[in-house]
Amino acid sequence: MSKATIIPFGPQHPVLPEPLHLDLVVQDETVVDCIPQIGFVHRGLEKLVETRDYNQFIYIAERICGICAMGHSLGYAETVESLMGVEVPKRAEYLRVIWHELSRVHSHLLWLGLAADAFGFESMFMHCWRLRERVLDLFEKTTGGRVILSVVKVGGVVRDIDATQMAEIVSVLDGLKDEYTQIMNTLLTDTSVKNRTVGVGYLSAEDATALSMVGPFARASNLAYDVRSFGRGAYGDLSEFAPITDTAGDCFARVKVRCLEVLQSIEIIKELAAKMPAGDIAVDVKGAPADGAQASNVLEQPRGECYYYARGNGSKNLERMRMRTPTSQNLAGMTVALKGCDLADVNMIILTIDPCISCTER
Amino acid sequence: MGSFKLGGMTFGSLFKKPETVLYPFETKPAPAGLKGHVENEVSQCILCGICQKSCPADAIVVEKKERTWSIDPFRCVQCGTCVRLCPKKCLTMEPSYTPIATTKTCRVLQVPDPKAGVTES
Amino acid sequence: MTTFEQTFEETPLAQVHELAASRLADGWRYVQILAVNTENGIDLVYSYMKDGLLANFNVAGVQKGDTVPSITDLYLEAFVCENEIHDLFDVDISNIAIDFGGMFYQLAEKAPMTVVSPEQLAAREKAKKIAAAKAAKEAAAKAEAAPALATGPTEEEIQAKIAGLDPEKAAKVRAAMEAKAKKAAAATPAAPAEPAKTGLTEEEIQAKVACLDPEKAAKVRAALEAKAKKAAEGKGE
Repeated sequence: MSKATIIPFGPQHPVLPEPLHLDLVVQDETVVDCIPQIGFVHRGLEKLVETRDYNQFIYIAERICGICAMGHSLGYAETVESLMGVEVPKRAEYLRVIWHELSRVHSHLLWLGLAADAFGFESMFMHCWRLRERVLDLFEKTTGGRVILSVVKVGGVVRDIDATQMAEIVSVLDGLKDEYTQIMNTLLTDTSVKNRTVGVGYLSAEDATALSMVGPFARASNLAYDVRSFGRGAYGDLSEFAPITDTAGDCFARVKVRCLEVLQSIEIIKELAAKMPAGDIAVDVKGAPADGAQASNVLEQPRGECYYYARGNGSKNLERMRMRTPTSQNLAGMTVALKGCDLADVNMIILTIDPCISCTER
Repeated sequence: MGSFKLGGMTFGSLFKKPETVLYPFETKPAPAGLKGHVENEVSQCILCGICQKSCPADAIVVEKKERTWSIDPFRCVQCGTCVRLCPKKCLTMEPSYTPIATTKTCRVLQVPDPKAGVTES
Repeated sequence: MTTFEQTFEETPLAQVHELAASRLADGWRYVQILAVNTENGIDLVYSYMKDGLLANFNVAGVQKGDTVPSITDLYLEAFVCENEIHDLFDVDISNIAIDFGGMFYQLAEKAPMTVVSPEQLAAREKAKKIAAAKAAKEAAAKAEAAPALATGPTEEEIQAKIAGLDPEKAAKVRAAMEAKAKKAAAATPAAPAEPAKTGLTEEEIQAKVACLDPEKAAKVRAALEAKAKKAAEGKGE
């Protein structure tokens, strides 16, 4: 055993889309310990809730992160609705879930492309991002925005999807599913991918439970926790929903869980599109949250459970708004998964937790 | 085996129409509901100022005395709140984006006074 | 299918660590810790979850100098939230497993979340006024429940109604209500003392102006003074 060396990793690194810094304690090419650090992109967005009223803050909430934009606006709106006791029309709930699941498809495809790029599978990267573009085009047609959708408001949604657009969504998704299945099968059967990922960055189910892990990272370690299975909103009307889990707990399992979740999301959208109820898409929200009223909420983002908290002070401006993002919860699990791995595998493990640092720091 | 499938897909791409467009020479047609920029039909505008109050980015300024309605397209976040709340429905969201520029500018629109028009003619 | 529920409970600062230990023993998941900057110190909210039940425990009013025990020895993943609360709210948390010592976020200013912005101050004051107005309205409604039906709105009621409105509207509503009150008074000459008739005193104007925008304040002030003068003249005749 040689002397331990500390190797700094990040905040700027070719595999990292966002600034995450790790101090890797390395002994003979093996990582023995790791200390994560974030804090390079803190923007103080939670403080801005004081300067905007609760209707206006939704546009700040969705700018927390480009990939989870829909999820953050949805989570924020649901929290304020529970704070003020607003009942959202059924159709609005369905539309929200359809857009949210579409954003999960686009987020996972983006991640799959980045991961493929990280193990040197350039053509896979191109194919994934080509498919993701179709989802963005659907967003553009139905909401008017490609990334920042601005489609949710407190009390409902601002745009409706009519029958022709809904049929288009379903047909585009059918086409996407065919091509995606081919890509997915290639990825999951490819030997070089398996060499790179199988058995790497193992995290046991006990560790995942003890570290309160969330999202696909936890589900790959056989922890069947998915906020969608609480069946709130339109999720309650699904004929069946079971979280996708895997028992292996390594990088390959995480890739597999995310790959299968894309197909699951497509099925959810198709089922909801077929069941879409008629009716209003929004209710009027009047008044202000009461002084000292609090509400909390959890939502399944593409990366896992996200926690929201709001407190009113009697005026239209909220006293406090807070979101705890999935990456913040998974950082501790990532350090455990990194312990004992090869230095060359570090980037693979970090990518498979799909870190979103700008969400975590807000 | 799997690699051949993807190989086929990738090889086929050589003969297909490209997925991308030659951007500066060709542009993608904008879909109908695209949030591009806010347009004001000034003859309908009553300068009520609801758009100014509701704007989350403080991009709209309404001067009742000077009878002007101005928008800073570089502040505007295209959320569409003003369009939804406009009582006269004179604000619309047009699908074309604000062109790029080297300096930030404000677009000021003069709102004609309907009463003044009546007395003059 | 488990359903989602949320609860809010109060818990004293001394029991934070015990609470975490009991939650861990019962197999709850750690969800998060957050801080809220209030007028009586900083509130900490600890959240745990089990089978769809999201339990939030509020530790109210942590003062400067209070030391909060870290729960990272039980739940390692809490180090992100604890370091964040230390950096953004300047709450002293002892024995964090991975302690960055105030270098977690690179900030230009110390404890930025404890700064009360002018907007927040204004919002809090407005909220207080609305609450006070509501209380006053209720009290007035109680007092007037039995007698005086035809006296029209009293000064108190007017104030109560105005407090919750936009400043521009307030002046208009006030004028309308005063007119109403005057009419009512004229109709029933035997009505008790009518404060609306005498116009506003200097203090009342001050109180009203204090919470407005400076530009608007000047305008409102001028209008109110003119009104007060008129009322005084009317009385003199």
